[in-house]
Parts: sequence; C-alpha cells; structure tokens
Amino acid sequence: MNLLIKQARITDPNSPHNGKKLDILIENGKITSIRKSITRKVKTITDANLHVSPGWFDMHVNFRDPGYEHKEDLNSGMRAASFGGFTGVACMPGTNPPLHTKSEIEYILHKSKGSIVDVHPIGALTYKLEGKDMTEMYDMHLSGAVAFSDEKNPIQSAGLMLRSLLYVNGFNGLIISHSEDKEITLDGMMNEGDAQVSLGLNPMPAIAEELMVARDISLVDYAKSRIHISSVSSARTVELIRAAKRKGINITAEVAAHYLGIDDLALNGFESNYKVNPPFRSKKDIQALRKGLADGSIDAICSDHSPEDEEMKNREFDHAAFGIIGLETAYAAANTYSGLSKKELVAKMAIRPREILNIPVPIINRGQQANLTLFNPTQKWTYSKSDIKSKSVNTPFIGTQFTGKALGSYNNNQFHEVV
Amino acid sequence: MEDRIALKKHLSTKHLLGIKNITTDDINLIFTTADNFKEVLNRPIKKVPSLRDITVANLFFENSTRTRISFELAEKRLSADVVNFSASTSALKKGETLVDTVNNILAMKVDMVVMRHPNPGACVYLSKHIDVNIINAGDGAHEHPTQALLDAYSIREKLGDVKGKKVVIVGDILHSRVALSNIFCLQKLGAEVMVCGPTTLMPRHIGSLGVNVGHNLKEALEWCDVANMLRIQLERQEIKYFPSLREYTMMFGLNKEILDSLSKKITIMHPGPINRGVEITSDVADSDQSIILNQVENGVAIRMAILYLLAGKIEKSA
Repeated sequence: MNLLIKQARITDPNSPHNGKKLDILIENGKITSIRKSITRKVKTITDANLHVSPGWFDMHVNFRDPGYEHKEDLNSGMRAASFGGFTGVACMPGTNPPLHTKSEIEYILHKSKGSIVDVHPIGALTYKLEGKDMTEMYDMHLSGAVAFSDEKNPIQSAGLMLRSLLYVNGFNGLIISHSEDKEITLDGMMNEGDAQVSLGLNPMPAIAEELMVARDISLVDYAKSRIHISSVSSARTVELIRAAKRKGINITAEVAAHYLGIDDLALNGFESNYKVNPPFRSKKDIQALRKGLADGSIDAICSDHSPEDEEMKNREFDHAAFGIIGLETAYAAANTYSGLSKKELVAKMAIRPREILNIPVPIINRGQQANLTLFNPTQKWTYSKSDIKSKSVNTPFIGTQFTGKALGSYNNNQFHEVV
Repeated sequence: MEDRIALKKHLSTKHLLGIKNITTDDINLIFTTADNFKEVLNRPIKKVPSLRDITVANLFFENSTRTRISFELAEKRLSADVVNFSASTSALKKGETLVDTVNNILAMKVDMVVMRHPNPGACVYLSKHIDVNIINAGDGAHEHPTQALLDAYSIREKLGDVKGKKVVIVGDILHSRVALSNIFCLQKLGAEVMVCGPTTLMPRHIGSLGVNVGHNLKEALEWCDVANMLRIQLERQEIKYFPSLREYTMMFGLNKEILDSLSKKITIMHPGPINRGVEITSDVADSDQSIILNQVENGVAIRMAILYLLAGKIEKSA
C-alpha cells in the first residue's frame, strides 16, 4: 500500500525530522522519502492541521476473544483500535479460557498476525486467574506474552506476589498489577466520598488501591524486580509511585484516559456507564493524575478498553459490570483533559508503552518500516453512538465534544483512514 | 373530603424516588394532605374513593412486613385496586431482569408501582425504563422516603414544628436508608441533625451532608430534642462491624436509666421492627416519651397522601 502524506508536522523524539512539517512517502510498507515537497500519483492525505507520530500503542485493552466474542472479538477489537489511531495494543488475559497457557497466547498472535494492529498478549499470572498457582510464565514468554497480570483479580497474597516478582526476574519478565485490596473494597461500587454517601452505594476507598501499591513497591524493591501499576486513580498512589521512582525502584505506571476527565459526581443518576474499576474519584485526584503525567510519575496513558454487552450493563447498578470501552476515545479524552502537549502525549501513548513492554519503538525516518498515526490535535468533534466500531457501546462519552482526533494509521503495509 | 383535598397545588415530581430531589414545598404539601387523611382514618368509615379505577402494584424484592402492610392499607383506604408481588428469592435468579419483571406486571394495566428493592438506585433505574409513577419503598442503603416523611410528620405532630429541632439518629448509619432519607428530610424542614454510632457503622464522608457526628450516646441525647433509634441489622452484615450485640448495647443501647438521667424530656422514635433489649429497652419503647406507635399510624396517612398526590398526575383516557 503506497501513501503520500502531505505537509504533516512530525512529532517523534527519535526522528531527525522531529518538529518539522514535511511530506512523507510510504511505498510497500516502508518510508521511502521524507522531504519538503513530494509529488507522486498515489493515495494522498492532507489536512488543515495534519500531524504524524509513531503509531500509538495501548498497553491495556480487553478483547473478549476467546469466550465472550459477543462483546468483542479480535477483529472488532482491532477495528476499534484502528479507528482510535492505535497500531499496537497489549490485551489482558481475562478471556474464557483465560490467556493462561501458551496455547491461548499463540491463538491471539496467530489470529491477529499481519493485521494493521499488532496485538501483544499479556499472560495470566495465575492459573485460571484464581490467585493461587503461578502459570508457566516462561513458556508463555517464549510464545510472545509481553507481560503477566491477573488484571482485575488482583493478587491478594503478598507471598504469591513476591514469589512471582522473583520468578520473572529469571527472564526479565514484567508483572502488571491492578492494585486493589479486596478485603477493603468488598462489594464496593464507587469511590468513597461525598457523592457516595448520598447514593448509599458501597464504597471503594482509595486506600484499598494505595495499600496495594505500597505493598508492591516494597516487594519489588526487595525482589530487585520490576512492576507496572495499571490504571492509577488516586492522588496518594501518584505520590507513592513518585517517591518510589526517586528511590530508584523499578516501577512504571499508567492511567486510563477517562480518569482524566470524569469524577465521582457523575454517578449521581446511578448510570452504569460510570461504573468502572478503579472507580472515578474526586476532582483533587484528577488534578494529581494530570500532575503525575506531567512530571513523569505516570508513564503511559491507556484506554482500559472493557467491552460489555447491554445485558451486563443495562441493569441495577449493583449488578452491572464494571468497565467501559475506550479505544476510540482514548486519544481524544487524553488530549482534551490531560493538559499535556502533543509531544508529551506521543511519549505517553506511543513511546513509553512500548519501552515498558520491550517492544521496538517505530521511528519516522527514511528506510524505516512505516508504523505511524495521523492526527489533528485541534479538531473538534462530537462522539456519537453511530461512530462506535467496537461490538459494545458501554461508554459515558456519547454526545461529548472532544478536541483532537485520529485521522488514520499505517502499519504492516496497510492504511486505515478514519472517516 | 374530596373537595378539601383537591388543592390546586401539585408535587414537583412524577415519582417519589427519594427525599434528596424533592422540594420543601413538596414535603409541606404531603403533610397538609396527610392531615386531612388522618382525619379520615379516625372516622367510622375509613375509606374514600380517591383512587377508584387506579391499580397499584406493590413490588417487594426484599422482605418487608410493616412497610408493605402500611402501603396496602393506604391503597385500600383510597379505594385503589391492589396487587402484591414479593420475591425475596428474586426473579433475577431465574434469569429475568428487573425491567422485564416489572413490564410483565405493567402489561396487566397497572398505574402505579410501589417498590422495595435491595439495590441502591433500583427505583431510579426503573424510572428510566418504565412509564408509570413509582414510589420508592426502600432501595438498598439509598433512600426510604416514605419512612422519612412519616418520621418528620410525627415530630411535627408531637412538637408542633420540625424547624429548629435537634434530632439525633443512633445506630447503623452505614447500611441505613432510613438515616439518609431522614437527614435530607429533616434538613429541608430546618432541623439540626446528628448521627451517632460506632465509627465502623458510619460512612466516612457523612459529615459532608452537614450533620454532626457523635460517638457518645449520653452526649448525643443531652444535645437532642428527638432521638431516632435505628434497628441494628445483624442479618445484613456478613462482615463484623462490632464484636457483639452485647457490647453494642453497652455503648449505644438506650435504657431507662440513661433516659431519666437527662436534663430534659426527649422524644423517642424507632422505625421498627424493634430489637427489644438491644438498641432500646422495653421500658423506653413503651414509655410516654416514645412515639413509636404514632409513627406507624402516621405511616398510613403519609402514604395515602403520597399516593393521592401522585395519582393526580395520572391521565386516564375516558
């Protein structure tokens, strides 16, 4: 697939062309020319405020394949990713069966091979995500698992977490931890706070997250291993991670884009599309998340894309599933709410996620394989239900006006234009 | 009777989902309407035709005796047709959703729904999916608006006015819809509210509602004009929030000795059912300072008023 990108501002810290407005020619999957002006009779992309960066990477998505394909299968998930501007994702193991042996890892890799979106599976940390017996992580690592996590079934046992952190040291494996002390959250439904008191919903206190992050910081320091904290939501968690990084502890962290713009007051009408885990917290927490992104305490922005069907979402709040879709709005939400520059956003959404997962970072330069995303950081648009490419529609953002939009992506010799 | 109640005023709402979102005018209108119905209830013939041709479904997805009977009596005194549905082992277990269950009942031409449900927000959720008037008879730890209204009404009856009065709510505030609705209702009417109980049974952010928080029963009782003693619901607690009922009673049980030691005569309330000897002793519950049975009696009048006022919003074609 050949493509000519006209007058695009290149945002790529690893490229000699960083910051310049140039034409880019891609032929058969490779960048063959970057110059002030190129003329060629091939498909040509222009836009009033065209930007190009290395292809975006979402390190936290849930595709429901295998097992719950009616919510999202690999194809629909990749389509949603592509519409959101992502050329790569890491998918969580919460499928049925879970991604807990090399068979499932290889299924994901085989089925997604050659598509415009690179799908990197994250293996389960424990068999059946039960929090008891470690999976064969080395075997999955050899098959292509980029990290290990029990996702939203966090490891409650400190001993198990310690042994896992020690074990993956042998092959430089990475553990991703959703931090939640279940003994504290119990059957909590939303953030503990002023809004929660008047709704009578069971609370999920921020300390349940903070305690686990504090525990894992101590464990990873002791094990001389590394850890990645998924979906940071509270101000104190940001502080803990900031302090740990200063001490030289090998810890990284991400925030999902929707946490940057929504606080717990949104739950006032018991609308289940605001039911997420970790829960939406206070305005003060949102400020801390933005600050943590700006000063590098938080490395990456993800979507925590969690498709759920109507039957799981449209019911009494206590019974509704946690989670919202996010691949198609992650960049727009991050750009609208984070306060980060486009340079910083490219770092958080394209570069750092790959570095954390040890995946090569694409570079926009002549001779390189083309893996890039086209976007307009100032375009205003309103998200509507008919836009949704995911199989599921569980999002609170319908009708929201965003600033910034992915316009297309190129990867593996394929181009996807967002129209 | 009909003429006197046919006020030009209407409630600001189609449903009674909670106290938080209704106005002080709504509350006062309910009270004056209840005054009239209370008079009806003291007549030899206690029935009025106000809700003739209106069908009310009482949907109880959680156990209840007194609230259900109170509603049913209120409906029958107003000449409504009544159907009862109760499912403590909810239909959900058979795979049917709440909206489907309710729609099945509504398909049989029901005009109003009274619902008790274990999940907070269940009535709010239902109101977004069905068209008839809904009265919340208690939804999880969210709201129990009719209880709060009958409580405030009973205080008004006993003390002349709610405004300026000091009310303490004692017990399990964490799991209590009665506490939450009472706080909203009493504050709208100008009362000052304190909550008192073990810290483990107190929502951490309860202070944000503008209530005083106390942990000493004697001090709370000295402060108040009215004490509302909540039932300690051991059956709801899978997690232990306090070591034993015995110790709870030692710290928060109201007995005659404490009551008589106070510098003034306070009014005692309880939403029922009472655990005699736990949160309140028999001699206190049965004393002349207790208005527990007045609360029950007023409950019927208050529920009649709410049903009547909401039914005014039903448009019957021919």
